[in-house]
Amino acid sequence: MKKGFLTVLAAALIVSVSACSGNGGDEQAKGPDRESPGTEASGSGKTGEDAPGQTIDPFGKYDQLVTMSTGQCIDPTAQDTLGPGETPSDNVYTRAIEQEMNIKTTSYWTVACTNLDQKVSLAIASNDLPDAMKVNKVQLREMVESGQLEEMTEAVKYASPFIQEAWKTTNGEAMASATFDGKLMAIPGVGSSDGALHNLWIRKDWLDKLGLELPKTLDDLEKVAKAFVEQDPDGNGKADTIGIMGTDANDPLYPTFLEGTEKGLGSIFYAKNAYPGYWVKGSDGSAVYGSIQPETKEALSVLRKWYAEGLIDPQVGVRKDDNEPIVAGKAGIFFQALWAAYTPLTDAWKNDPKANWQSYALPLDANGKWNQTVNAPTVEWLVAKKGFKHPEAVMKLANYRMAKGDHFEEDLGVEGSNMPLRTSFDRRDQMTAIAKLIKGVFEEGQPKETLDVDFEPALYPDDYNKYVQVKKKPYDNYDIQNWNLEDMAGFTRMYVRVVGSRPLMDPNRNDVESLIWEQTPTMTKRWANLMKLESETFYKIILGSAPLDSFDQFVESWKRQGGDQITKEVQDFLKQ
Amino acid sequence: MKSKGFVKHYVLMLLPGYAWVIVFCVIPMFGIAIAFQDFNPVRGILGSKWSGLDTFEYMFQLDDTKTIFVNTLFIACMKIVGNLIVPLTFALMLNELRITILKRSIQTIVYLPHFLSWVILGGIVLDLFSYTGPVNQLLALFGAEPAVFFAKAPLFPYLVVGSDIWKDFGFNTIIYLAAMTGINPALYEAHAIDGGGRIKALWHITLPGIRTTVALLAVLSLGNVLNAGFDQIFNLYNPLVYSTGDIIDTWVYRAGLLDLQYELATAVGLLKSVIGLILISISYVLAYRFTNYRIF
Repeated sequence: MKKGFLTVLAAALIVSVSACSGNGGDEQAKGPDRESPGTEASGSGKTGEDAPGQTIDPFGKYDQLVTMSTGQCIDPTAQDTLGPGETPSDNVYTRAIEQEMNIKTTSYWTVACTNLDQKVSLAIASNDLPDAMKVNKVQLREMVESGQLEEMTEAVKYASPFIQEAWKTTNGEAMASATFDGKLMAIPGVGSSDGALHNLWIRKDWLDKLGLELPKTLDDLEKVAKAFVEQDPDGNGKADTIGIMGTDANDPLYPTFLEGTEKGLGSIFYAKNAYPGYWVKGSDGSAVYGSIQPETKEALSVLRKWYAEGLIDPQVGVRKDDNEPIVAGKAGIFFQALWAAYTPLTDAWKNDPKANWQSYALPLDANGKWNQTVNAPTVEWLVAKKGFKHPEAVMKLANYRMAKGDHFEEDLGVEGSNMPLRTSFDRRDQMTAIAKLIKGVFEEGQPKETLDVDFEPALYPDDYNKYVQVKKKPYDNYDIQNWNLEDMAGFTRMYVRVVGSRPLMDPNRNDVESLIWEQTPTMTKRWANLMKLESETFYKIILGSAPLDSFDQFVESWKRQGGDQITKEVQDFLKQ
Repeated sequence: MKSKGFVKHYVLMLLPGYAWVIVFCVIPMFGIAIAFQDFNPVRGILGSKWSGLDTFEYMFQLDDTKTIFVNTLFIACMKIVGNLIVPLTFALMLNELRITILKRSIQTIVYLPHFLSWVILGGIVLDLFSYTGPVNQLLALFGAEPAVFFAKAPLFPYLVVGSDIWKDFGFNTIIYLAAMTGINPALYEAHAIDGGGRIKALWHITLPGIRTTVALLAVLSLGNVLNAGFDQIFNLYNPLVYSTGDIIDTWVYRAGLLDLQYELATAVGLLKSVIGLILISISYVLAYRFTNYRIF
């Protein structure tokens, strides 16, 4: 009988860890709120209204030492980049913060980055929280509803001009995402929208070797992928090459309005005018969910056919690390943002400096447009525990990282995850602007001073010299033999900003935004299960273990299990 | 007087046990309340609002609920049958082996995997069946196309059951071998004198001799039906095989800890416990019927 007991308890235990806490907290968050205080109030470059008895200086030093415990995720390989005696919470970066601002960060817990979500969720459930940490949307909402957070309305007044600019480029979306009942409860990060568009990355040396044209449409892409699989482009006499890389087990098939992807096959959907995971305008003008539209079914039929023919990585969705075949020179095509020039391509070039990876605004849809979904403005939020005395110290930490962080990362080699609470605050159009500037100077004869803009940290005044160092002439030929790979860090930095950014200036570029970036009330309860239903069905269709028509059944289940209600809520929200 | 002191010591000896049961079993029972609440971790169970049966209503609407119960039952039942037949057969074969050194070394080798955790063993299994792994290389010799075994949902339960049997059959064999040593050797001698062969001895002496052990183990494992093995499946599965591989425990873990749906996870866990209680009661009655085994 004891066993019966235990079974009951084992299940109950999972959640009961949190049972015996309770220091109250006010109920908040009745739904998304579009107000955005903070940025509007404080003008750019100025310090804004002063708090009583205290001047606001984004980089000011505290009189007394402020200690802040943080939850930190560590990339296991990041340990190697630390100097002797240094730790993730005590290194050249954290000491600089302590010296210049009198903020001492300590580590409340550290966890491998792959387990971060789980660790944060556990911390929330057990109400055992560090002073400050980085959370995702679901976690933020949970913490707000539980009253675990310190208000940030005052703290964001300390935002540096650079960060305020970044917030402004989101048209208030960033602030809205952190605002609950008129109160700002977190510091929203900002991701550049153009830094998330997925380029087509392709081995141009393989194309040349097999005498193929650059694939423009999906049909072309099919032919090229087939050739990459069958005609032994790496010339080792074995049929061991992959046409199109898919995703691995940790990465979704395509980005959604809540979450981005590293790689994914979103571009194939977009070339069929299907926008799964996004809220888009339907034929009657009202908001509809892209995943349940007929175009998505069409795109799935393409992927299904390609998978059956072996054009897509046979291990799509189960592979442990989708960078591995690229690094090993076994894959010819993948879709990833311009940052691919850092990871995985840096390692790929170390193995094969002749691998001519180029990126393009492809594939095109039937109308010749390069459709790409834009990422949500904010996917990570900085929060402070309720009762933490200096929420503005979190803001100051962010200021410091944006102003000087790149110096530590690029010049001193401090790995990003060793910088507590490292968060991005990019302008939404940052990468396009940079790409235009560089092109202007090197191909259109603009004076080099035009590069001296306040786009730090994405662009330095020094980047002119760096560019001249790593790029051989002619400047308008980007093939790999025209680059100098000796300074690998400098080379990849410029490659991101030139080759990676080239598709951003493409005249065919067509950005598709989600109509909503928020979760409606029913979504908070049902979305996780709906997403699971969606990704399972789509994978089964692609891998051929379910018929294509099971899509129709999915649409019906999706609507029944809360989808109809959610659609209604989204439409009502947009009418406001 | 004397007997009273005796009883007192008895009770004292029980105290640690009671304390353990109360702390780890009775107190966490209150966690079940979460299933009926709009749970808020900061307010705790006492402070959260009650929501009645809403969570259960939603739970029964979900397609997942049925899937995970079917998966759990299917995987667990196969495991029970497999873990009974394979070690039994192996023990019978090993028992017939007359070379002691060989018998001992085989025993040792096959029970080794039992001592490895699923984290390690799961990695080994995944590697064995990976796209470029030994199994695919072997199949390639016969001209078969390489397959991604762990992406195939229909195959997944069998891989789970197979690897589970592989891990534990050596260990379970020992139990049967031990039972076999308990059989009176005089029976075998009499059988040999009567001119019986080894196959007949196996059929008429060995098997009936361990009948109660087999029945007892089979019946007791019934109570475990709903525990299809969190460790193992968690280490082996991936989103592509959720439809056939997701069991109650893994689902509760994801829904409760990763998606922060405390109420739903508790409700499903509670349903599992109720069914588990029924199954255990049945197996208890059966154990008494067949083998006269009872605790109370």
